[in-house]
Amino acid sequence: MSGAADREAVFPTRQSLGLMKAKLKGAETGHSLLKRKSEALTKRFREITRRIDEAKRKMGRVMQIASLSLAEVTYAVGGNIGYQIQESAKSARFRIRAKQENVSGVLLPTFESYQTEGNNDFAMTGLGKGGQQVQRCRETYARAVEALVELASLQTAFVILDEVIKVVNRRVNAIEHVIIPRTENTIKYINSELDELDREEFYRLKKVANKKQRDTAAGDAEMKKKKEEQDKVDASGQENKEQEETGPTDILADAAAEDEDVIF
Amino acid sequence: MEGLFFNVNNGYIEGIVRGYRNGLLTSANYTNMTQCESIDDLKLQLGPAYGDFLASLPPNPSTSSLAAKTTDKLVSEFRYVRANAVGSLAKFMDYLTYGYMIDNVALLITGTLHERDTRELLERCHPLGWFETMPVLCVATNIEELYNSVLIETPLAPYFKGSLSHQDLDELNIEIVRNTLYKNYLEDFYHFVNADPDMAGTPTAEVMSEILEFEADRRAINITLNSFGTELSKADRKKLYPNFGLLYPEGTLMLSRADDFEGVRLAVEGVQDYKTFCEAAGLGGGPGGPGNMAGGTGSDGRSLEDMFYQKEMEISKMAFTRQFTYGIVYAWVKLREQEIRNITWIAECIAQNQKERINNYISVF
Repeated sequence: MSGAADREAVFPTRQSLGLMKAKLKGAETGHSLLKRKSEALTKRFREITRRIDEAKRKMGRVMQIASLSLAEVTYAVGGNIGYQIQESAKSARFRIRAKQENVSGVLLPTFESYQTEGNNDFAMTGLGKGGQQVQRCRETYARAVEALVELASLQTAFVILDEVIKVVNRRVNAIEHVIIPRTENTIKYINSELDELDREEFYRLKKVANKKQRDTAAGDAEMKKKKEEQDKVDASGQENKEQEETGPTDILADAAAEDEDVIF
Repeated sequence: MEGLFFNVNNGYIEGIVRGYRNGLLTSANYTNMTQCESIDDLKLQLGPAYGDFLASLPPNPSTSSLAAKTTDKLVSEFRYVRANAVGSLAKFMDYLTYGYMIDNVALLITGTLHERDTRELLERCHPLGWFETMPVLCVATNIEELYNSVLIETPLAPYFKGSLSHQDLDELNIEIVRNTLYKNYLEDFYHFVNADPDMAGTPTAEVMSEILEFEADRRAINITLNSFGTELSKADRKKLYPNFGLLYPEGTLMLSRADDFEGVRLAVEGVQDYKTFCEAAGLGGGPGGPGNMAGGTGSDGRSLEDMFYQKEMEISKMAFTRQFTYGIVYAWVKLREQEIRNITWIAECIAQNQKERINNYISVF
């Protein structure tokens, strides 16, 4: 029996049987709860995967447009304005907020992007020529960054969920394949031990009863034999000893009775 | 009369420049280029025109390195012409470089303002705007020193003097500084071609006046359009308009009061060309405004800026119909610049696989 080794080290008593039964019940409840959690997470996970796919495709399109608009800027301004832009940017216009979202007990960070109004550090870049392309390029890149932020929050959620789902599934599997069978084994073991004890007890009782019976039978037989012998002796010595025996016996009996009376 | 002695000093240069002009890419070349599948193909197509300069590029070069190499060719040719120029043509060519110089100085000012090591910036400067004493400007650590060294070391001093103080460099937006300088430069250039005894009354003056007037108008219109929605006040804006050009003075006055694209359209109504540009752009741009090359959002109509470029190219092309003029040097540089922009654009489109907009280049030959 392979399960024999795989059980908890308990003494096979009625009390531990009760404990084990409670434990089994707890494990089954936990298993179903965790299973449901894992399913909820997996559902969410699939949705996120789908959205990541969408976001990535969108990202590709947006980035393509954005880099083309950068090419337009280069074309219109006719030079490299990167340095100028870098130097004139003072504070971030595009910012993100981080929030937390609770999905069946898992905290997922989500990023929310917003643009600060009235913060246009290089509004005048390309004033002489190409200014509008610069602004437009900035807008397209703002859109690209927005897509990027969305993707980033999805990816983070993806990674975290992946981890959590793994943990939950591990727990589910552990409960399903280790804890529950082991508890069941333990219960089975305790039951069998208890049965064994029962049988032993029964057998012992039976044995004792037998012995007792035998003893009684032997006693009876002996008694009988004794009695028979006695009877035989009595019968043989009755004639010659009858007188003597009865005399003193009666005397004794009388004396005892008399003595008793004396004592009382 | 002007033709009588022109060739004594400048005939060789004119010949060279006309030769260079013939080396410019034609529509047929552009058509071939737009058929290319990769940058390498493009490089191959550019082989005849740019052979030596592209030879050192690695396979499938980036568009920026391609642009840098094509610019190198322009620069080396320009330097050759400049080295052979004498007298007033030499001065004329120096004037040509001042525009680039302004950009470089603006770059250095930006760097100094943000306390960066300006030596790194020297590499980023436009080679045409390079002048011998430029590294000296990097020694300056604060804006006042820089201002003084610009006044002493550069030919741009007259443009600073009188309109900008060193406090202005600190306080004003660098774009305003740049455009003030550019305005002064254009006015000075205009004055130079019309007042220099060698040029006044010659075809040079005629050709260059046309080009510079157009440039001035274009800047005025662009500044107006680009300043909508920024903190640039109307009074400040007015100061950036060059004081000549076809629009000056009524048009610029109206431009200075314009609040939206409609105002600009009214302001330029006096000039037929600009009027048609504005109408075309207004129609093409839709409700989004003047609709410069829409950032990928659709609208394949030509933008105002495109039309200005187109017009500039046509003026430059027409300059070659005149003889005995320095204007062809200017026109050649501009045509060449446009060619570099076209190549860059086509290369970008090929690199990004965005073939539908590839025909946005401007070709006049």
